[in-house]
Amino acid sequence: MIVTKNLKKAFGSQMVLNGINETIQKGEKVVVIGPSGSGKSTFLRCLNLLEVPTEGEIWFEGNNITDKKANIDKIRCKMGMVFQQFNLFPHLTVMENITLAPVKLGLMNKEEAEQKATELLKRIGLVEKATAYPNQLSGGQKQRIAIVRALAMNPDLMLFDEPTSALDPEMVGEVLDLMAQLADEGMTMVVVTHEMRFAKKVATRILFMDEGKIVDQNTPDEFFEHPTHPRLIEFLSKIL
Amino acid sequence: METLKNIAMSYYDALIPDQRYLAYLEGIKVTILISFFAILLGVAIGMLVAVVKVSNVNSKRFLMRVVAKLCNIYITIIRGTPLMVQLLIIYNLIFTSRSTNEIVIGAVCFGINSGAYVAEIIRAGIESIERGQMEAGRSLGLNHMQTMRLIIMPQAIKNILPALGNEFIVLIKETSVASVIAVTDLLQAAQYVGSRTWDILPPLVIAAACYLVLVMGLTKLLAIFERRMARGDRH
Repeated sequence: MIVTKNLKKAFGSQMVLNGINETIQKGEKVVVIGPSGSGKSTFLRCLNLLEVPTEGEIWFEGNNITDKKANIDKIRCKMGMVFQQFNLFPHLTVMENITLAPVKLGLMNKEEAEQKATELLKRIGLVEKATAYPNQLSGGQKQRIAIVRALAMNPDLMLFDEPTSALDPEMVGEVLDLMAQLADEGMTMVVVTHEMRFAKKVATRILFMDEGKIVDQNTPDEFFEHPTHPRLIEFLSKIL
Repeated sequence: METLKNIAMSYYDALIPDQRYLAYLEGIKVTILISFFAILLGVAIGMLVAVVKVSNVNSKRFLMRVVAKLCNIYITIIRGTPLMVQLLIIYNLIFTSRSTNEIVIGAVCFGINSGAYVAEIIRAGIESIERGQMEAGRSLGLNHMQTMRLIIMPQAIKNILPALGNEFIVLIKETSVASVIAVTDLLQAAQYVGSRTWDILPPLVIAAACYLVLVMGLTKLLAIFERRMARGDRH
């Protein structure tokens, strides 16, 4: 589904991604972990070109999206993204937040979009918040709305950039539960997170990044029970 | 008692005989029209320049960088030279035909001038919106301009409304400079009346009062608008 070839990203003279070759299949739930500054968020943001790679290629559903001629806006419609800081639009109601993009991009008309939004809101139990503004919501509610907003576009792939890092501890659960539900339904997901329990439970594969490279990867069981890479062992010993 | 009566008389002379109040009304009309169209033009120019500046300063496309540079030059020149000089230059440079409508001249001059200030205000507004908003819009498949228009601008305008209102107020008052290019605005009307009554002070005070009322009206309007925009803030 998404393939990166020798993906490199430099900010100025600092190499943040140092040649990443990775293939993510449809239906996979890939969790990316690693120490801060290892480039995991940059890697994720490169996948939908929020960061433009310095070198290398990214292929999504058979198209080279790093090609100059590729229509990145079209491609992004198929990749939902959830941010650490939620990034809901504060001047719009929850309903407008969800329906804005599908309607403005002509994917649905207003009624269809609102119907879809209502369905999604029902599912996360926030349908009564449809007319509320983001500032009236808790962090957990905001993040769940942000997930729903991305889902309203019917994406094929969801990218999560530390979705629970800005939340109060008691709200982390509701967001992770929703993500786990999505995973169960077969959504292809790439998740950057520090939530190791989530990684263990939901991931089909875990990537460990360090210094701009994927230094190790494995299934969750092997990854946590029998780590082999010395850098990974050190990392796990610090956080577990 | 006598002095009071004299003062009242001089104001009466400045207003009533020969239907002099009509001159003020005519002047107010010109001032309002010039201000109105200048504000529209200024906001249009300002928005364009601001968006070009924030979007293209580090653009990879050479042409866009040139355009951004040009915008900078425009702002530098307009902000760096006196309004009255600009007015005279534009008047003599562009509107060499004296038959051109005075409202058009005024609106264009003041619009071009105001645009530079509005551009900087709007740029500050756009930059006050966190980067995540643009990223969220783009990640949903909206293009740069759509995100600007639907997500960044509405929030930016809300943040800069007080500063923008200030600029509009300044603009209304500065249109009084237009009298140097023979536009019969409110101030010119007052001077005309003064030349008839041989008593310049009362017409000037009347004109000042009219400006004050105009500005207060605008302030009220902006306050209403600001309240409307404030929905979505925590209540």
